[in-house]
Amino acid sequence: MNMLNSFMPVLAFLFQEADAEGGRFAAMKHAATHPDLSKFLVIGALLFIIGVAGVLTRRNIIVIFMSIELILNAANLNFVAFSRYLQSTGSVNALAGQLFAVFVIVVAAAEAAIGLGIVIALYRNKETIWVDEIDLLKW
Amino acid sequence: MILSGYEALFFWIFALSAIFAGLLTVMARNAVHSALFLISSLVSVAALFVLAGAEFIAGVQILVYVGGVMVLFLFVIMLVNVGAEEHGREEIFNNQRQVTASLIFCGLLVLGVLYAASQGYRGLQKRYGQPEAPIAAQASGDQSGPANATGTSQITRDTERVGGSLYRYASLPFEIASVLLLVAIIGSVMLARTLRQEASADDLDPETLQNEIARDPELAKLEPPSE
Repeated sequence: MNMLNSFMPVLAFLFQEADAEGGRFAAMKHAATHPDLSKFLVIGALLFIIGVAGVLTRRNIIVIFMSIELILNAANLNFVAFSRYLQSTGSVNALAGQLFAVFVIVVAAAEAAIGLGIVIALYRNKETIWVDEIDLLKW
Repeated sequence: MILSGYEALFFWIFALSAIFAGLLTVMARNAVHSALFLISSLVSVAALFVLAGAEFIAGVQILVYVGGVMVLFLFVIMLVNVGAEEHGREEIFNNQRQVTASLIFCGLLVLGVLYAASQGYRGLQKRYGQPEAPIAAQASGDQSGPANATGTSQITRDTERVGGSLYRYASLPFEIASVLLLVAIIGSVMLARTLRQEASADDLDPETLQNEIARDPELAKLEPPSE
């Protein structure tokens, strides 16, 4: 119980609201049942970090490409969430976020096509898809 | 922008499934399993787009990513699959030192990003200075068609508005994107050609062609060296 209490500030930090009138539990419950912009941002951040971890740790170059797609999706989630937030504040340029998400998707598709073409060419020449064996440019 | 009621429930369901599917994408041993988990993660993110009121982006996400890019990924996996990793013989992660360094880096990123997200959101609220009641947010957020008889569902005009602003504010980037896609098509076709295809298109360096003919006499029959 003591340990739970010591974790409570962390959870309250994750689910904090501007005013916590009815204690921490009530604030957390209200935050969990009314997800707002910051929850979208946190989900996007977690997806981004998972993608970065995948890019940095995996050996299979195709899985690295998939992690890049995950990163781009996290960015799109942020764009769309901010677009929705600006719509609710009545901003004029609220749809710019959605437009940018469309362009991010276009660039991701082009990147996937080119990257997978490079993977195929690499596999023809090197017979491997492990990135730690492709070390021609290492000194 | 505050979701409530069933929207909040679905938000948490899809958010958790997106994150777990993302984690499994990174941690799965078989690349095909990774691709399938990535598909479920992308579909969950598309559902989050719908919850954020961006139906057009959600549709584009499913059509382009799940219908196009992931099929491409699966084809390439089948083309280059070395088959060793799903039998548990190969290590799927990189060297120990790099994994440790990247995990430390990601931990720092988690802390920084969580801090920045909450602080920045507070700053936004302070700047726009409004309490954001859920009903007020919905009323000003969806200036769309009239509610139906029960008043529960509305026809959104998100696609129409995105299309309009795409041509109104972003027509130049739109054209540039089409050129980019053309370049990507040509580039991927060029990159994925085999040596035989390059030789038959007469697109090889003559010296390289001679070397390759010395190794593989079949090539000479395919394309006699031009005088």
